[in-house]
Amino acid sequence: MKKCKCRMAKVFFKILKIFLIANVALFVVFFFDLDGKLMFNVVEPFLKKHYDNMERKDVLQEPYDLDKFPKYKY
Amino acid sequence: MAISFDVSKIQKKLAEKKEGVQKTVAELKANGFKKNMHDFWYGKPHTAEPGGRRLGELYEDKTGLLTHREWRGFKDTMYYMYMIWGYNYLHMVTDILKFSNNPIDFLKGTWRYRWMGQTYLPVIHWFERGLQGMRGEALYASAWHYRAMVSASIHQICTFFNADTRLHGGKENDAYKHTIFTNETTCGTLFYPWKDAGYQYVSMEMIPYFVTCHVNSHTVLNYIDAVQSLGLPGDPCPMCQAESGLFVLDDVPDSSPFIITCNEACDASVSTHTLQDWFADKPLFALPIPMQFDDPLVKKHCMNEIEEMWKFVEEQTGTPFNWESMKKYLERQNKLQRDEWEKWEVAAKTNFYPINGVAQALFRIYSTQYGIQTDCWEDASEKVKKIMYKCVEKKINPFPQTRHRVIAWSCAPLYYSNWCTWAYNCWGLNCIINMDSLMFDMEIRTDSYENMLEDMATYHMWAPMRRMAVGGMHHIFELWDYMQRFNCDMVAMYDQLQCKGMQGVHGLFEDEFRKRNVKAFWIPHALPDSRTVSRAEIRRQINDYMTTVMHEEPLDPSLLDFDDSMTW
Repeated sequence: MKKCKCRMAKVFFKILKIFLIANVALFVVFFFDLDGKLMFNVVEPFLKKHYDNMERKDVLQEPYDLDKFPKYKY
Repeated sequence: MAISFDVSKIQKKLAEKKEGVQKTVAELKANGFKKNMHDFWYGKPHTAEPGGRRLGELYEDKTGLLTHREWRGFKDTMYYMYMIWGYNYLHMVTDILKFSNNPIDFLKGTWRYRWMGQTYLPVIHWFERGLQGMRGEALYASAWHYRAMVSASIHQICTFFNADTRLHGGKENDAYKHTIFTNETTCGTLFYPWKDAGYQYVSMEMIPYFVTCHVNSHTVLNYIDAVQSLGLPGDPCPMCQAESGLFVLDDVPDSSPFIITCNEACDASVSTHTLQDWFADKPLFALPIPMQFDDPLVKKHCMNEIEEMWKFVEEQTGTPFNWESMKKYLERQNKLQRDEWEKWEVAAKTNFYPINGVAQALFRIYSTQYGIQTDCWEDASEKVKKIMYKCVEKKINPFPQTRHRVIAWSCAPLYYSNWCTWAYNCWGLNCIINMDSLMFDMEIRTDSYENMLEDMATYHMWAPMRRMAVGGMHHIFELWDYMQRFNCDMVAMYDQLQCKGMQGVHGLFEDEFRKRNVKAFWIPHALPDSRTVSRAEIRRQINDYMTTVMHEEPLDPSLLDFDDSMTW
């Protein structure tokens, strides 16, 4: 019984430790705006490059067929 | 891949950091234990006196990123971290899981569309800009408005991606057949009759254009430049340019078999929908917003057009108009409107209203335009009302440094909608209400089809940028009544430099301000385009007014002049 309680306490403190470390890490990210800095300096430039190099349909080559659909007068 | 480091740049940054730490340590020593503990628990006071908070010192040069977030006192910093920053990150994920048919589509959409990937990932920074300096109930309540807007945005994004043929190998799936595409000022209210049959309304531009400008103002510049690269002139309203540019860059999802467009209450937008008709190449119904709308004959005409549009939807979807569905969602919308009136009553008559200017304006324009497509508006409204009544009961003034009660009029700069957060922090200018909030100031009757249709026509005609912007003298000058009703002593007058309609009445406002002895300052801007008038220029204009005309001193001198030219 004593052994069991001891093990439970160990698990409890382990969880508490993980919880505290996770919270401190989160606080560091939050307080120093690390998420913003990551987005601004890494993610956005990377995505911009991707979008800039993307192949796009040249919509101007599409014919503008005015009579393709009915007038929808009711 | 070669990675190069600029050593001198890193050394300079480290030296700056060292200097910053030394300055903070010296300040803490000088303050003494008692003041330090007070600042730790409550945050630094909002005052120009020594020892007051200096929000301008938190910014990194140019980028607008923060060297560190503001310490708002123990309780509010923890609230911000867990209930705003963490909560919203978490709920962005749960919203995607809730609204998306397949979360992989969300990732595919992020990869495919610039307006998605470039804009919405830094959304939490948008909260930061709008909520900076807020403490206590102002922080808690304003954040709920932001939360609702993010949830509604994810709902729309998922509606796009669930149905988009481009993300599904060209397949027109069930979601595609149940999505109704419209222009962004064709309100969601019009499509309630099909909601219970599983049809989703989504505006083609609200997410790819309108909301992006608030969250990340860089994105929209691609679309403006795209349309100008075709040789179209650069002087029409940049909103119309950006909306056309989305099509020019082939960046509008293909999520619906048909489209309903409107003139978005603006002559330039008529051209937008011509381009949309060309590039989208789908059955299209044009439902214009009348240019003259105080005429009973025009109203009758508008009612007929709405009914014609409903017939078009019936024909395209094969699903009949459902009066019960219409009634059900209209009643929910009316309840939301009554809640808003309740809040406005408190804002007008007391100092206990806890919503800041930007949260008020964006929540209202977004919720009235999108309509009851999800529960998010009602949820947020209930939470805000609870906080508001706590303020009323306990006589809490959420904006204790208010020097002037401001009403903001005309269309706001989308890239700097949070100017009012800055104005409160720097000058004590508390933006109580604004034109965007007041546009759809009405309920829609549900006692009979005829009454509903009549009110629906009014609602449609009171669209954004119509009633109180280019909607005729009577409505533009409703400013004076609202100024009195909301007990405001100052006007922030937006000056959209590329809106030909509003430029035409600039002089009339100048005359009226003088005649009525109204304190007013102008905010020049070019709606989404941050290159025409910078944020720094807007601040400079307000600073000039506050010092040269009002002879006032700033509450936070660090906010007078700083460079955020590259910020989102």
